[in-house]
Amino acid sequence: MKTTRLGCISSTGIITTLLAVLLIGGIAYARGGVLFNPGELNAQAGGRSVGGVASHAETGGRCSACHVPFWEVGGMDDRCLVCHVEIEQSADDFHRVMLAQSQSHQCYNCHTEHRGAQASLTVLDLQRFPHQAVGYSLQAHVTSGAGAAFTCFDCHGGTFGSFNQANCTACHHQINPAFMDAHLADFGDGCLACHDGIDTYGKIFDHNSLAFPLQGEHANAACSGCHAGAVSLAELRQAPHECSACHLEDDAHAGNFGQDCGTCHTPDGWEGAAFDHSLAAFPLTGAHATAACEDCHQGGVFQGTPQDCFSCHAADDAHDGRFGQDCAACHTPDGWEGAVFDHTLAAFQLTGAHATVACEDCHQGGVFQGIPQDCAACHAEPDYHAGQFGIDCAACHDTAAWMPALFDRPHTFPFDHGENGRSECRVCHPDSVASYTCYTCHEHSPADIEQEHREEGISNFSDCTRCHPTGQEEEGGDGGGDGD
Amino acid sequence: MITRSNRELWLAFIAIASISLLYIFTVAMLGGVPPAREFFGHSIGILGFVLMLMTESLYSLRKRSRRAQWGRMSAWLDFHIFTGLVGPFMVLLHSSWKFNGLAGIVMLLTAVIVLSGFIGRYIYTAVPRTADGVELEAGLLESQIAQVDADLQRLLADGPARTRTILERAAAPAQASGGTFAAIFGRALSDLRFRSEWGRARRELDTNTLNRIDQLEGLVRRKRSLYRQVSSLAAARRLLALWHAVHIPIGMVLFTAAFIHALAAIYYATLLR
Repeated sequence: MKTTRLGCISSTGIITTLLAVLLIGGIAYARGGVLFNPGELNAQAGGRSVGGVASHAETGGRCSACHVPFWEVGGMDDRCLVCHVEIEQSADDFHRVMLAQSQSHQCYNCHTEHRGAQASLTVLDLQRFPHQAVGYSLQAHVTSGAGAAFTCFDCHGGTFGSFNQANCTACHHQINPAFMDAHLADFGDGCLACHDGIDTYGKIFDHNSLAFPLQGEHANAACSGCHAGAVSLAELRQAPHECSACHLEDDAHAGNFGQDCGTCHTPDGWEGAAFDHSLAAFPLTGAHATAACEDCHQGGVFQGTPQDCFSCHAADDAHDGRFGQDCAACHTPDGWEGAVFDHTLAAFQLTGAHATVACEDCHQGGVFQGIPQDCAACHAEPDYHAGQFGIDCAACHDTAAWMPALFDRPHTFPFDHGENGRSECRVCHPDSVASYTCYTCHEHSPADIEQEHREEGISNFSDCTRCHPTGQEEEGGDGGGDGD
Repeated sequence: MITRSNRELWLAFIAIASISLLYIFTVAMLGGVPPAREFFGHSIGILGFVLMLMTESLYSLRKRSRRAQWGRMSAWLDFHIFTGLVGPFMVLLHSSWKFNGLAGIVMLLTAVIVLSGFIGRYIYTAVPRTADGVELEAGLLESQIAQVDADLQRLLADGPARTRTILERAAAPAQASGGTFAAIFGRALSDLRFRSEWGRARRELDTNTLNRIDQLEGLVRRKRSLYRQVSSLAAARRLLALWHAVHIPIGMVLFTAAFIHALAAIYYATLLR
C-alpha cells in the first residue's frame, strides 16, 4: 500500500532531522558560537592586553564575552566596559561622555564587529552616528563648504569629549567674514545657545514657517533689527510681534492713528497705505473719497480735524454765507451741483404754483435773504381790480392759481342773484370790478330798458343798483321820475 | 516564448528580476550591500524562508490529498517550482554575500536542494501522469500507442505507401544507447535528433501529405514519446524513488539548520542589547 505520510515525518526525515540537531548542537557545544558567527572578529592587536586578550579574535568562539543572554541583566555596553575599564576611569574620555549623554547610543553603533579579521573596528558614519543625542545634530554638517565630508576632527580637534564654540566662528568666518562679524556683534559667540545643528536658524531656516512670516520689506531686515540682544532660543522667540515695538520712531502720524500700523500699512512699505476712512467719525463719500488726504489734514494733523462743511468749503460758498454754513442742508458730498433746497424750512413755503417756479424768478441776482414775502412784491395788481382790493392777494387767491378766486368781502349786490347760484365776478364785472353791467345777463337790451324807464319817466337809469340794490325789479317802485 | 509547460519558469524569472531591481535600488540607496541583520535583509530573508517552507510543504500535502477540490496537481507543481526558485533567491540576497558558519551551511544546502529539485522535476516528468498527477500504467501507454497508430493510419489511408514508410520510420522508438539513465536524462538529445530526422523526412513527403504536416508531426512526436515512456517507465520510477530518498533528508537538514539559524539570529541580533 502506498504511504500517504509526508516525507518530513517519515522515518528517514525524522532521523535526518535528529542527526542534524545533534550535529549542530555538538559543534556548538564543542566550538562555542562558531557556527553562528556571522563573520570573523577583529584580529588587529592593539599592542596591549585588554580584558586578557589583545584583540577580539582572541576571545575565540566565546560569544558571551560580548553578548548577554536574555535571562541575564545588563547589555552589550556593560560587557564592553568589563574589559575596557579605561572608559569609565577617564574623566573626560569621549566614550564616557557619550555613554553618559545618551541611553540610546550603543557601542556597536560605531564599533561593528564580525566584519573580518583585518577590517576596521570603527565604522563611524556621521550620517548614522546619533550626534543629536548629545544635543547637536550634524544634519547641516554633512559636507563642508568645499564639498568634502566632515570628520570628527574638523569640529572637535583631538578631544571628542569636549567642544570649543570658537571652532564654529573660526570656520564660519572663513565662509562669510562680513556676516559672521555682524552676527557675532549682534548675538555674541554662544553659538550653541541658538543653533542646534538641524539648521533651525541656518541656511534652510524659513522664517515664514513661524508665526511672524517675513513679508515685503521685513524680508530685507537684519535679524538684529528685531532680535537685538537675543542670545538664546527663548530670547529669539520673545521678539515682539506688534508694529509699534519696532516702528514707533517711524510713525509719521505722531501717534494720532494709534500703534497698529497694519491697519493701513503693509510690510511692502510705508507708501501705499490704505486708510479705511469709513472707520473714522467722518466717512468719505462722494467727492470726498477722491480728495487728497492733505486737503483736509493739512500739516499732517489727523486728529481734531473739524467735520463741519464750512471749515473746508468756506471759500467754495457760492451763496456768500447767505445760506449759513451747513452746506449739507442742500448739497451732498457728490458735488455742488444738484443741490436740493428744502424751501419748506424757509419762512416762505413754496406751495401751489410757487413750487414749480425757477429760483431766479423770486431770487433775482442771487439774492436769497431779505426777499419780501408779500404777494405784491412779485405780483403786480391786475387792471381788472386795480386799486379796488388792496395788495393782499391771498385774501381772495390761493397759490394754486389765480383763478378761481374767492371774494369774501361785503358786497351789497347778492352774489347769488339769478337762478344759477353764486356767479363769477366777470358776469357782472366783465372788464373791471370798478364797473358793472346788468345787460350781460338780462335779456333786455339797453334800448328796451331805456324805453321802459322813460315810459315810467325815469331818465337816470344807467346805474341799475342805485334803484335795484339787490337786483329786484320791485325795488324801483312804480316810477315817479328819476327817483332821486 | 511562454507556453503552458514553462509558464512557472517565466513567472519565477520575472519575480527574480523584479526582486533584483529592488535589491540594486536598495544597494544604491544604502551605498552598499544591505546587511542581513537590518530591515531589508531580515525582510527578504524571512519572506524567502517562508516561500521555501511553502515549497516543501504545500505541494507534498496536495500530493497526499487525492481530492480535486484542492486544485490540479499540475498547478500545485507550478507553484512548487515558482516558490522553489524565488524563495532561495531571496535567501541568497539575505545572506549579504557572507557564508560564514551555520548561515553559510544553510545557504549551501539551499543551493543543493534547488539543484536537486531541478533534477527531480526532470525525473518526475519522465513518468507519464494524468493532469491530476495519477501515474499511468504500461498497459494504458500501450493502448495510447495503438490509438496514435490508428490515427496515423487513418490520415495516411489514401496516401502513397512511401509516405507511410517515411512516417513509420520517424515514429519508431529511438535506439536506446546508454541504458535507462540515458533514456531518462537523454530526452533533450533525443528530441534534437528527432528534429533533424523529421526535417529530412519532410523533404521526401508529397504535397498532399505536407498539407497535413502539423497534425502528422504531433502524432509522430506523441508516438515516439509514448515509446520512450514505456521503455523507461520502470527505470524512471526507480530513479524517482531514489531521488526522494536523497532529496528529503537534504531538505530536512536544510530546514533544521535554517530554524536553528533563525533562532540564533533572534538570540544574537534581534535581542541584542
